[in-house]
Amino acid sequence: MRLLKRFLEQVGSKMNPEVLSIDSKRFTLNQELGRRQFSRKSLVYAGTYLGRNRRLFEPGSQLLQMLAAEEDTRKVHLDRDVAWLFVCGRDVFEENIRRVEGELELGRYCLVMFDGRCIGYGRYETSAGIRVIRNLFDLGDFLRREGSD
Amino acid sequence: MVVSREETNKQFFLDRYRTLGHRLAGDEKTPQAIRVNTLKTSDAEMMETLTSLGVKLARVPYLDHGYVVEESGFSLGASIEYLLGLYSLQESASQSAAQTLAPNAGDTVLDMCAAPGGKTTQIAAYMGNRGQLYAVDVDRRRVYALENNLERCGVENSLVYRGDVTSMEPGTRFNKVLLDAPCSGNYVTDPSWFRKRSIKDVHGNAEVQRRLLSAAVRHLESEGNLLYATCSLEPEEDELNMQWLLRNHEVALEEIDGPGERGLTEVFGQKLCEEISRCRRFWPDTAHTQGFFLAKVVKR
Repeated sequence: MRLLKRFLEQVGSKMNPEVLSIDSKRFTLNQELGRRQFSRKSLVYAGTYLGRNRRLFEPGSQLLQMLAAEEDTRKVHLDRDVAWLFVCGRDVFEENIRRVEGELELGRYCLVMFDGRCIGYGRYETSAGIRVIRNLFDLGDFLRREGSD
Repeated sequence: MVVSREETNKQFFLDRYRTLGHRLAGDEKTPQAIRVNTLKTSDAEMMETLTSLGVKLARVPYLDHGYVVEESGFSLGASIEYLLGLYSLQESASQSAAQTLAPNAGDTVLDMCAAPGGKTTQIAAYMGNRGQLYAVDVDRRRVYALENNLERCGVENSLVYRGDVTSMEPGTRFNKVLLDAPCSGNYVTDPSWFRKRSIKDVHGNAEVQRRLLSAAVRHLESEGNLLYATCSLEPEEDELNMQWLLRNHEVALEEIDGPGERGLTEVFGQKLCEEISRCRRFWPDTAHTQGFFLAKVVKR
């Protein structure tokens, strides 16, 4: 929970979900699942996937969509071409950001948005003297992760 | 002249299909299809977006949210919209399984051989992320793919178990069960099918399917519905399994409307229960889909 909380703070969220842990994975249950008794034996996935603990917390896409719906979270919006490069794992140059919501601070996380939906997140930082959103997670991971399982 | 095993197999199976009333060439294809994920978007919005990207789609008349891809300049399995879970790639006949089960928000549903999750995510969409959807599969890698699909498509009402569903005790009974059974498949979606399949495989799969059918009936509550589906054209895995089910369990078959043809009631000279005609069979030459079989069972 500590790693998840730290991540939520980093991105500017006030969310405080009730968390169900399955190994290193973190989930939250909607009301209907939450009030249901169910066997935990052989359970590998439940409800809404938030992400998993590694060295840091690695958010899943469902958590990112939830965060994107919050007004207070920091967001950068991209056009399709730049969004495509981002989901291919590339960083985003500041000049290619179309619009910013909230205040970008060096070293802090922000959600990366395309067409009103979250396609990943990154950290605002300086790289070789250029300001970029460093790609920390993007939805292209869905294609990459199955190949590397 | 040396005839390859593939050629011998091909002739053997095509002869069987001819006996069952269909003169197939053995090279029929099914067009790529997508299903709009109504948990995240609408058909109209998705059509507008994909059309603006140069994709030509045609609505499949018998599907709620299915479209055949007529033309696309890019891979639809690697677009931003796909990664956002706004649609899934799912063959037309395959989409009709969850549609026929018709799950809704009040249901407790079991998806027995769920991975990689195309039908699971479709069921969740019909349920509007309400109710409870239990998804089970035995294979670790395939369960991983299932988890990824659930996440991508924004499914929030599922519990996924990894294990053998025939010995599992989930602690509840279900009013709807989908058994999309592991089967021999068909040559439409697998170009190497004639090379690797034999009638022995078909019989082996039919036996596994019967064990799964028994488990499905056990997991169902009384008057609950089981939707049995295979992507096999072989009667041993389809109508003959339904004949076995009717004889060994307190169940009945319900009429399935829609595309495809009625289930066979005479197979290789063997007369079957008339009730089996209520099932649905998709032949590649007339339905223009992969081979597919659907049966809607009610537990008495």
